[in-house]
Amino acid sequence: MRRKKLGLLLSGVMMLGLLAGCGGKNADSPNPSSSAGMAQETGPKETVKLKFFTGKVETVDLMNTLIQKFNSENPGIEVEQEYQKDASNVIKVKFASGDIPDITTVVEQDYIDQGKYLDLSNEPFWPRVLPAVKELSTDVKSGKQYQVATNVTMAGIFYNKKIFQELGLKEALTWNDFKANLQAVKDKKPDVTPLFIAGRESWTLGHLIEFLAHGIIKQDLGVKSSREAFINNESDKLKFDQENGPIDTFAKRLLELQEAGLMNKDALTATYDNQKEAFATGKAAMISQGMWVVADLLKISPDFQIDIGFSPYPSIQDGTKPVVLSADDSRYAITAESKHPEEAKKFLEFLLQPENLKTYSEFLKSPPAFTDVTADWGPLKDQANQALSSGVNIAFTDSPSGFSGDDAGRMVQELLAGQYSTSLDFAKAYKDAWDKAWKATHR
Amino acid sequence: MIILRKLWNNLHLFMALPAILLFGLFFIYPLAQGIGISLTDSNGMSAPRFIGLQNFVDFFHDARAKKDVYNTVFFAIGSAPLLNLFGFLYALILDRPFKGKGFVRAVVYLPAVISPLIMGYVWYFILQPDRGFLYHLLENLHLGTGGSDWLGNAHSALIVLVFINVWQFVGMTMIIYLAGLQSIPKELYEACEIDGAGYMKSLWYITIPMVVQSIKINVVTNIIGSLSVFEVIMALTDGGPGYSTESLSIYILRMLYGSFTGYSTAVAMVLFAMIIIPVFIFMRYINKKEFEM
Repeated sequence: MRRKKLGLLLSGVMMLGLLAGCGGKNADSPNPSSSAGMAQETGPKETVKLKFFTGKVETVDLMNTLIQKFNSENPGIEVEQEYQKDASNVIKVKFASGDIPDITTVVEQDYIDQGKYLDLSNEPFWPRVLPAVKELSTDVKSGKQYQVATNVTMAGIFYNKKIFQELGLKEALTWNDFKANLQAVKDKKPDVTPLFIAGRESWTLGHLIEFLAHGIIKQDLGVKSSREAFINNESDKLKFDQENGPIDTFAKRLLELQEAGLMNKDALTATYDNQKEAFATGKAAMISQGMWVVADLLKISPDFQIDIGFSPYPSIQDGTKPVVLSADDSRYAITAESKHPEEAKKFLEFLLQPENLKTYSEFLKSPPAFTDVTADWGPLKDQANQALSSGVNIAFTDSPSGFSGDDAGRMVQELLAGQYSTSLDFAKAYKDAWDKAWKATHR
Repeated sequence: MIILRKLWNNLHLFMALPAILLFGLFFIYPLAQGIGISLTDSNGMSAPRFIGLQNFVDFFHDARAKKDVYNTVFFAIGSAPLLNLFGFLYALILDRPFKGKGFVRAVVYLPAVISPLIMGYVWYFILQPDRGFLYHLLENLHLGTGGSDWLGNAHSALIVLVFINVWQFVGMTMIIYLAGLQSIPKELYEACEIDGAGYMKSLWYITIPMVVQSIKINVVTNIIGSLSVFEVIMALTDGGPGYSTESLSIYILRMLYGSFTGYSTAVAMVLFAMIIIPVFIFMRYINKKEFEM
């Protein structure tokens, strides 16, 4: 009898939960009236706590210094930084649970579509921003700017100049030349890895798809149309599953390198740290990375600076051009549900002050996206400019939030582990995964 | 007056109320809510729609999910019996009096104190091909390093994961068996000896039946622990290469993050069933056994 009562009670609780589960989420819809009320209640004397949410591990310490400066200059506002490794996913949980940051580095198209960010179109800083970066910061659907990027980042092939000089190699712009370079390293320097892949970290492989495979799409369609094609999943333009299409070609090329033994044997288990170390100590001749790697390379080996070469990615398909990533970096957005949008804007303005941007750019060794900032950002300035002129400049891919660069990278791991019998199978699986994720948020 | 007396007599029921409330709030309520979400196509952002059992139907057509079920079950089937076998053997050895017993016990138990996440990273540095500790050790001992890519190959990576799990948690299993062994009255063994039974016979007729409670606890906790494996895989292989060592728990997390909230909750329900059903069957079976004794 007693057990029955207990059971009844527990099942009662369960029913309640079921109702709540089916009832959908209330936390989802912003409640403008309550947030306005909150803002009024918070008098000027109370300290406003701003939450800054970041996914950029390399800037955590620097941001803490900047935040300290801001906090001391602005009594009454206290900014707190939170870093998460998987930030673009963690923010989803934050949005759902109501633990919403005020300002963040995480900007995704799906969240823009959901109205999660504040419209920054009318902010006074836009005339200072490079036009190309402003275009990349503009939402293709609404034509508004929900984010601002402070820097430009680049990615391409980093090579060891000393090894290149020794072997008489030149920067490769075509696939055959690129392969010949790798082969030359393999033949003449057996102790050196021709191309070092950090495949344990799936994002590095995701980048290969984004730059090499998507590079074909991006140069064919141009910045605006390619962004629209990715965001709206226009499959007739993306041609993901086409034979000899971008993904199929990419898979073939990568397997070619693997079969010829032109990449490290442990391509599937080597980490980003292993890659940096191998390259900075001359044990690897080439790596695919972005400008973000330079500061770490110099930390490992300060004298390495003069040996770092930078070139575009070679074209992987006949009739296409080499590409180099030149994209908006260090983006900021203010959330629409922030209870302190004014204070958040104040913090953003602080970050965009020329002197702070200068500090930031020099720390990150990455060129500023603001025209009124002159920063001595790094040793690769001239080479970067040269790469920008010899390769087509492409941007990052706007992928569906359910199919991140990590997810794509894991598929490349599968490819390298021999789990697809043909490159076309890989291309088809890639399209399926992309479509599935796209449909999950577009219905 | 009667009411008061009734209340007084049933006071113990009310004393359970706080516990029931907490259990309801933190277990039953989320579970029920989970069942609710698993019946929708929620993506974590837009309003969810009720789609019945579609997520569960999808699950049985999802190749990646099937592979993950295989990995998870392989891990559990590999770990749970080995943990019990070695835990029991360790307990038998360390239950006998010898010098330095406490120290050896502590050493066996020590890995269990460390987080599986840290353990995964430590083993990663040991096992990494071409640059790990073991690679260099084999190289320096001239034992050949040809097959050192243990983590780059799906099958060997799974075996490595089972090995690490068993090595780490065997101490935990051992402690529970030790407690069981120590609660057996010495007289039983003495009687056994007088009757002329050898060590194996006393082990079979006295020790094992007497530690049935410990076996129960160990098997249940090991199954639950092994089927919901997460940290050690995240740290050691990140589920890779590709998805080849991904467990169901990792799949749930990744699907949740990947805008498939409804589906991931459905997978969580499947995992819940996968854990609760064998535990339930085992408990039924062992209870009957006990009764027969």
